[in-house]
This record gives sequence, structure tokens and C-alpha cells, in this order.
Amino acid sequence: MLDQIPTAFLFICAALVVPFLPAGRVRSLWLLLVPILAAWQVWGLELNSHMQTQFFGFDLDLMRVDKLSRIFALIFCMAAFLGNLYAWHLRDTVQQAAALLYAGAAIGAVFAGDLISLFFYWEGTAIASVFLIWARRTEGAYHTGMRYLLIQVGSGVILLAGVALYYRDTGSISFELMTLNSPATWLIFIAFGIKAAFPLLHNWLQDSYPAATVTGTVILSAFTTKLAIYALARGFAGTEILIYIGVVMTLFPIFFAEIENDLRRVLAYSLNNQLGFMVVGIGIGTEMAINGTASHAFAHILYKALLFMAVGSVLFRTGTSKASELGGLYRTMPLTMIFCLVGAASISAFPLFSGFVTKSLILDEAAGAHMYIVWGALVFASAGVLSHSGIKIPFFMFFAHDSGKRPAEAPTHMLLAMGLTAFLCIAIGVFPAPLYALLPYEVDYTPYTTSHVVGQLQLLFFALLAFGILMRTGIHPPELRAVNLDSDVIYRKWMPRVLGRLSVITATLWQAKLGFVMRRLDSIVTGLYRSHGPEGRMARTWPIGSMVIWIAVILSATLLLNFFG
Amino acid sequence: MSDNGTDPKTYPALGRLLLWVDRPGSANRIFWALALICAGLFAYDFTFEKHGHFSMENLPGFFGAFGFIAFTAVILGAKALRLLIKRPEDFYAEHSVDTEDYPASGLEKRDHDA
Repeated sequence: MLDQIPTAFLFICAALVVPFLPAGRVRSLWLLLVPILAAWQVWGLELNSHMQTQFFGFDLDLMRVDKLSRIFALIFCMAAFLGNLYAWHLRDTVQQAAALLYAGAAIGAVFAGDLISLFFYWEGTAIASVFLIWARRTEGAYHTGMRYLLIQVGSGVILLAGVALYYRDTGSISFELMTLNSPATWLIFIAFGIKAAFPLLHNWLQDSYPAATVTGTVILSAFTTKLAIYALARGFAGTEILIYIGVVMTLFPIFFAEIENDLRRVLAYSLNNQLGFMVVGIGIGTEMAINGTASHAFAHILYKALLFMAVGSVLFRTGTSKASELGGLYRTMPLTMIFCLVGAASISAFPLFSGFVTKSLILDEAAGAHMYIVWGALVFASAGVLSHSGIKIPFFMFFAHDSGKRPAEAPTHMLLAMGLTAFLCIAIGVFPAPLYALLPYEVDYTPYTTSHVVGQLQLLFFALLAFGILMRTGIHPPELRAVNLDSDVIYRKWMPRVLGRLSVITATLWQAKLGFVMRRLDSIVTGLYRSHGPEGRMARTWPIGSMVIWIAVILSATLLLNFFG
Repeated sequence: MSDNGTDPKTYPALGRLLLWVDRPGSANRIFWALALICAGLFAYDFTFEKHGHFSMENLPGFFGAFGFIAFTAVILGAKALRLLIKRPEDFYAEHSVDTEDYPASGLEKRDHDA
């Protein structure tokens, strides 16, 4: 019976039940059971099956199950489980229901075989997820949530416009591989690009994720962007421009991450950089490159969640996630520190950790296609990943200077969630075969060759050595309480300022013009009043005598004219 | 923090085990150990034949040099970038969470010896 229900509906129905369950263990357990049940359902689904339904004369396909959609659905279920385990202590109905709805919408979008259901779920993820930001319940979080919602819903509206044009052009709404040759496909591409945080469309990510709740950020980190990666892999695999977009995405965030103080924002920049690797894979578009993208998304969701969990635990215990306020926490939070290091090693792609066996699929495809510059940029970006996620996050939180803070270790359920995620990161790194078997295409790849392992270790250890030297010489930038501008300053500060100025200028000009016209009107009215008003010349009552004189004058004039005429 | 909180005896066992990293000289030792590992990895390059995609890759220590230079470039680039884009923490204040305290109701702030 279970295979008759779209997976997304499972989550949505479960979310509707949440408010009626007593807040406490029962509800927390429910939040864990739902993703397990969903994963079990997804696992049991027959590959290459569909679930067609009619909607206003359109044929919708709510469940297109193939290896590409299945791997994303499975990792989304795992992310929902781990995120909800991390949030076991939560007694907030809004966040709990939103987490389930959000995961459900993301999974629904992944299984959507047509563009209309994709659109519905696409907007669903936007609306459900914003509550994880608003749940912080502060003024700043409210404004951040509004900005996030505007951009996310905007992406959906652009998608809808693209879909409408696409339907007019092709007469089809099925979500298949597209080429960028019409306004329709460009609109769809841009809609995907907003959620995938393409350069200059990326700011919502770094703006909103640090503003969400401790547990909300963990949930947020998994779905929206990876849904966009899936959508790009499905719709635009092999689109060359994606290679260059991806390269820029891997490069620019590493510089911003390096000088950012809020460690959750550092992780958001790092997330952006990791998406870049996936986008390059999609741009290359070969079977192995798509495998690389799918496997990297899978591994990335886990280690990124792990890192957000570790920083979240520190925030939970100390009240801050700012590097300038932290340091020396290894003394009293050693387990969190170890889990954080596992996440750091995984994202930095140390051998035996998950990033190593997935990222190299993409790098090898770039090298195999003789894209020297692309490959070089990706290796450069890999060293950059080490600098902010591999070193900065654990070092400035748990080591570096002693902040004097001695917080208690994270609560048991958070340790459990982190431990389980860390275990998965290592398991994938040590035994990549089960993950490779899940990938969309046949995998013929051995990550553990001598030259690959030694090359990667050299890259990372020499980078660590450089860090050591830069720290000893004091060149490494210190952690400061500050914010850094990104391109969102354009719409957060400059445009409002320009608009403000413009409105002042317009108002002044309008006032001046209005004043001029009013003065003219005034003088006309006064003039008329002067001549026609009660005191005016034209309204004067003339004495009868003067009238008789005037009549006499006119009469005599008439007589004279008649007499001589 | 209470004075009691800084007494290492009250730390978790694992935390006590790691206290050596803060002993004087430890940072030095870690640094030189790192240098030794790097030297070893460089030397290891001569023991096997590389089959890189590019001929450059086959140079001994190629990835080491790449890693070192790339990392330094990232740090220096970021430092330069900071000069341009650093702003006070309250730059976006009221419309962002940068200067807000995280609401205490969502946290469980606790010292380890509480």
C-alpha cells in the first residue's frame, strides 16, 4: 500500500499530525519515525516507475523513480532523520512541522516528473523553510526571513514563467533534459540558479542560514541548494556554461569565508563553494561527472550537516557562534570537537573521509577532458576549502586563544546525531562501494591509488604547513567582530539609499512645480476676484444718476449720427 | 565563569587528555611534526611512478607546492579583500542578526561544572 502514496504526501500528512501530538518525546519520536518510514518506502520503490495523475487537463507525474531521483530522495530522508535527532530537545510546533513539510516538499520536487508539480514543490520548500528562520523570533530574523522568502518565491515565479513559455514552445510539461536556446529554458535555468546560489544570485544563502535557529540551520543546509543541484543535473546536464559558473562558485566564497567572523556564515560560504564542485560536474555532463555530482551532494549533505551541528552545539551552550568570542573549547567539549574534526576532514577531502571518494570523481573528469584551467581552479579551491572549513572552523572554536569559556558538552541527543553523521562520513570514505552502487550510472573508479592518495595528502599537509607558518609569522588575519560586504549590499543598502535620495529629489521637484502652478492659479483667482468679486469693479452698484447721464450721452450720439448720417 | 570552572580536574577525561596542546612548546612541536610529515610526503613522491593527466602533475612535490602556494594565496587574497569590504558589526543592524544576542529561550547555556 505504501508504494501507492507519493513520498512527499507521507511527510505532509505527518506534519499535519504534529500539532496534535503532545510536545515531548512522543512528538520527537514521530519526527524520527517519519523519515525512516519514507526511506524504507523509497528503498522499496521499483526503478523507472511513474505515478501519473490528472490535474486541470495536464498529466502530472508525481513519482518519477530512477537512480538519479532515488539517491537524492534517500539522502534527503537521512538528512531529515539526522536533523530531527539533533533537534530532539525542541518543543516548538512551528519548527517541527516546518521541518517535515520542508523535507517533504524537497523530496516531492526530486520525484516530480513534470514541471508543474516541480513548481508546486519548489515553492513549498520556500514557504516551509522560512519558518525555520522566523522561529528565532527576533527583529533581525524577521527581516532576514522576509528577504529570504522574497528571493525564494521569486525563484518560483521565474520558474513558473519559464514553464508557461516552455509549454507554449513545446506543448509538453515533462521535466527532461533541456537546452539553453529559448527564453523559456533560460528562465527555468535562472530559477534553478537562484536556488543553487550561482554567483551574484547567492546572497540569500549567506544572509539567511546564520539567522535561523540552532537546529533550523542544520535542516536548511541539506535541502534547498541540493534540490537545485538535482534540478540542474536533470535539466541541464552537459550545459557548458555551468562549468564556468561552477568554477567561479568554488573560488569566490573561499576568500569571503576566510575573513567572516560568524562561523555559521563561514559554513554558508563553504556550502556555496561545495555547490560549485557539483555545478562543474553537471556542466561537464558525462556519466562519471554526473555520478561525481550526485555522490558529492550525498557526502556533502552529511559533512555539512555535521559541521553545522558542531557549530550549533557550541552556539547552544555558549550563546555565540562568532570566532572572535570563541576558542579553547576542546577542554570541556571534546566530543563535539572530535565530531567537528571528522566533518572538517571530510569536507577537506582527507583520504578515508567521504569528501575524498566523491570530489575526485569530478576532478578526474575535468582532468580527463583536458580542462587544465578548470582542473587547476578546482584543486586551488580544494586548498581553499581546507583553509576555512578544515582549519578555521575547528581551530578558532576549539583551540587558538583560550576564550575562558568552559561550556558543558553538547546534550546527548546532539552528540548522538553528530556521532552518527560522523560515522557515516568515515564509512563512506573507507567503503565507498555502497555509495557508488547507488549512483545514477555504472561506476568504474578506484579512488585509492598511490598517486591520488599521496597527491591529496601533499596538497593538504603542505597547506597546513603554510597555515602554521602564517600563524607563527602573524600574517594570518585575526578574527574580528565585523561584517563583510558582499554583493547583497546593493539591495540591502545602496538601492534603498539611492531610492531614498530619489524620493527626496522627486518630492522636492514636485513640491516646487506644484508651488509654481498653485501660485499661478492663486493669482488668476485673486485677479478674477478683484474684478468679479463682491468688491470688484464689475460688481459695483452704479448710481442711477450716472446711468441717466450715460443714456443721455448715448441718445445724443445716436441723434447726431441720425441727423448727419 | 567561576574559578572552579577553570580547574582542569573538573574537565571531562577526554578534555584533560588533550591539555598537552596548550603546554609551552607544544605548538612548536606540532609545527615541526607537520614539517616532518611534509618532508616525508615529498620524499615519497620519488618512490613510485606517477600517471597524472598532465605532465606537470608528475613533477615530484607538485601537489605539495600547489597546496602551499594556493593556501598562502587564499590567505593573502582574503586579507586584501578585508581592507575593502570590512564594515562595523552593526552595519545592517536591526535588519540583520549580526548584533543580536541569540534568544536565551532557544539555548541551554551551561558551564561544564554546573
